[in-house]
Amino acid sequence: VSHQVPVTIVAPLPSDAVEPVRAVLRELAAGPFQGSSLIFNGISTVHFARMLVLDEAIDLDGQPLAARLVFISDVDAPLDAYLKELIETCGEVLDRIFDKCEGYPAARTAAARMSFLRAHMIKPAANYVNTVGRTVEQVQHQAELWSAIEDYLDSPDCDLRSMGPLQLHAQIRSYVASQNGLRWSETAPAGPAASIRVREALHRVAVPALLLALLPLLVVGVPVWLLLLRVSELRDKPSDERPGEEHVRKLTALEDHVVQNQFSALGYVKPGLLRRATLSFILWLVDYSTRHVFNRGRLADVTTIHFARWILLDDKKRMLFVSNYDGSLESYMDDFIDKVAWGLNAVFSNGVGYPRTYWLFGGGARHEQDFKDYLRVHQLPTELWYSAYPHLSAVNIFNNAAIRDGLHAQLDEGQARQWLRRL
Amino acid sequence: VAAQTVSVERADVQGLVARGYGRLKEARFVLFRIDHPAGARDWLNTLVPMLTSAADEPEYRAVNIAFTASGARKLGLDHDAVGRFALEFRDGMTSPHRSRILGDRGDSGPERWAWGGPGNPEIDAVLLVYGRSKVALAETLGRAAPRHGGVTEIVSLQTATLTALEHFGFHDGISQPAVEGLTPRCAPANTVKVGEFLLGYPNEYGLVPDRALLDSQADPGGLLPRRAGRADLGRNGSYLVLRELVQDVPGFWGFVERAASGGRSEAVRLASKMVGRWPGGAPLVAAPEHDDPTLGDHNDFFYHLADPHGLLCPKGAHVRRSNPRGSLAPEPGSDRSIAIGKRHRILRRGRQFGTWVSPLVPDVDAPRGDDEARGLYFICLNANLARQFEFIQHTWLNNPKFDGLYDDTDPLVSTASTTFTALAEPFRERITGVPSFVTVRGGAYFFLPGIRAVRYLASLE
Repeated sequence: VSHQVPVTIVAPLPSDAVEPVRAVLRELAAGPFQGSSLIFNGISTVHFARMLVLDEAIDLDGQPLAARLVFISDVDAPLDAYLKELIETCGEVLDRIFDKCEGYPAARTAAARMSFLRAHMIKPAANYVNTVGRTVEQVQHQAELWSAIEDYLDSPDCDLRSMGPLQLHAQIRSYVASQNGLRWSETAPAGPAASIRVREALHRVAVPALLLALLPLLVVGVPVWLLLLRVSELRDKPSDERPGEEHVRKLTALEDHVVQNQFSALGYVKPGLLRRATLSFILWLVDYSTRHVFNRGRLADVTTIHFARWILLDDKKRMLFVSNYDGSLESYMDDFIDKVAWGLNAVFSNGVGYPRTYWLFGGGARHEQDFKDYLRVHQLPTELWYSAYPHLSAVNIFNNAAIRDGLHAQLDEGQARQWLRRL
Repeated sequence: VAAQTVSVERADVQGLVARGYGRLKEARFVLFRIDHPAGARDWLNTLVPMLTSAADEPEYRAVNIAFTASGARKLGLDHDAVGRFALEFRDGMTSPHRSRILGDRGDSGPERWAWGGPGNPEIDAVLLVYGRSKVALAETLGRAAPRHGGVTEIVSLQTATLTALEHFGFHDGISQPAVEGLTPRCAPANTVKVGEFLLGYPNEYGLVPDRALLDSQADPGGLLPRRAGRADLGRNGSYLVLRELVQDVPGFWGFVERAASGGRSEAVRLASKMVGRWPGGAPLVAAPEHDDPTLGDHNDFFYHLADPHGLLCPKGAHVRRSNPRGSLAPEPGSDRSIAIGKRHRILRRGRQFGTWVSPLVPDVDAPRGDDEARGLYFICLNANLARQFEFIQHTWLNNPKFDGLYDDTDPLVSTASTTFTALAEPFRERITGVPSFVTVRGGAYFFLPGIRAVRYLASLE
């Protein structure tokens, strides 16, 4: 019975604590490779986690913004159980990290830590989960199943090569059944709880219904909004800033140690109500589409993203975007440009300095070099990062789930042949 | 819609971009360090009239020259001007992150290189010299080599006489993109915009990226072409990648013979599965059962229709992953996927070195397991190192997750051991523990400037 929960904790940090906290994070991040930080290893429900520090800043109105410690994780429900386990297994590590945050309790009790974390938890504006409802345990189990079947196919003593697809499918099934450690595969994976399913079903229809009800307003409002937006676009000043060598070196030091990578980026939202409202509305649509449309292995045409999150900070003056993806940043950016430029534009063109767009969806990311420079300039080092399954691509995980589903299904010969091609 | 014709300034483009000099069978690549800029510039000034351009069709000799970022700095290009070149070029081939991207670790790690590594002398320039014969090569080298000091020869890479077969015994160099406006016409799916290979022209995004534009005061003599009032140092230039790749030919054939365990013909079949073409060049999708001499140069084919799952040509085969021909996401086989693939092409200009020992090459009786090195001086040209050469290397060749695979990097050119999976009926054949047959022994990123830009560099003070 499960679904995934995005956990976002943002705590203010006094300026003199910024570098000490960074040092603690770097120390904790040390592992055999980037992404293997050991502090989450004991917790079975964490898919991905990261911690990073946002520097102090002056916003576009000249107001100071405090430094922040950001702690982001993608976990399996229920949230309470995760927080409890986190505090139980690494309460003292949390103390070390959050110690210098304003308002961190002097009394180091589980209850005090819990109330601090809860008090600083914020709701992301939008969240993407590669496949809704798939737990860490499922991912890891199904990878073991894949591996066991592959090894079985390589075992020399069986005459598997002479079998037809149906016979082979049955033979593999009986092999899996004979392995105690793989018995779990016989029961179908648990989906989200009934209450969640009802909530999601209601949300799924409620949003279009609301839009339909508002249709008369939209018919008048949308053209006006688009025209205002177009005027705003004509006044935009795309940045020609190029990423500094030192900045890029810091970022790349954290990249390409395993097949997965992390991305964190922060930027200012363009001033004025129009852009702020546009961003909120677009992110609301993004969240709807990731909950109900892009919830089974792909975000539009991109199949390499495990989790992604859009977080508005400081009264919507800034946006933090984080994601966990497969492959290099170069291939990730190329995917953005080649496959979902329109989607990137609709969100990020509301950020200061983004390459020039046309009617919200056009242009923008299609200015290849400007777009790549923009991303690198706004990217932040993800000081501490964790992945529960760093050796698996999102496509592997998807295929493993299909192998498990097909293993116990009644297949005809053609289906069995197709299933065998997944191996 | 009428096709937009691009007019390439051929006389300003160094010839290697337009052709691999197939008629000039002998070549030598000489790597230099610049010690005294004035002496180096004198040498360049004598060299400029000798440089072969894309307008020439050399029958006897060819000479081209390219520089590393350190070379450009030493010649007198200031920090700001060098900063306008691509970060990958400035950073060089040996930074820790770049080594991860390129797969240069273990025996292939830059700290073990014979040249170009952190422990080796700095490389500032490469002189590429070609001749119709050994005599022509020697004579050209004599004329092009620096005579008055100022530069020191670090390594001289002598190539083997050009043949169509690479050392493992396979017909090589078949697949090259046709470059619009520069090379002979070819099928549209294989024709790529000139801006993918030359700076200053529209690329496959329809853009002319702003790179290497200098303030016009930096070029008071007006040697460089102007673009929007600025001096264009990049125009008609290309980034050149040079890597020395040692091939373990006895290791390769020994491995496939053991793994195929069915004599020579089974070994050839397995090796061909790993390559994606038969030794004679016929692609597996067109000739699934056996080599076909009539298909030796066949290059107008696709994977998606004939072989979407990789039953004929495995997904992990070298030629399928280094040029997927539109068989990848988002819509395998579609124009969209083909268009995306065109943003990841390179012009290959490599040459072999060392003597032959492949069991597939007739009349070669060299002892197996001899210790003479042999392999490829890999050379490629592209306008965007990150999106072309490095992307192919990391996202396609070295990526264990390529096209849905799990743990398979390129079975032919990986620098670490890997798994090779070939789809079959009723189920895949999988070979684990495929050793690496290629070791990187040196490498550097260069910029192959336009000829006016070479003259400009020679004029700096």
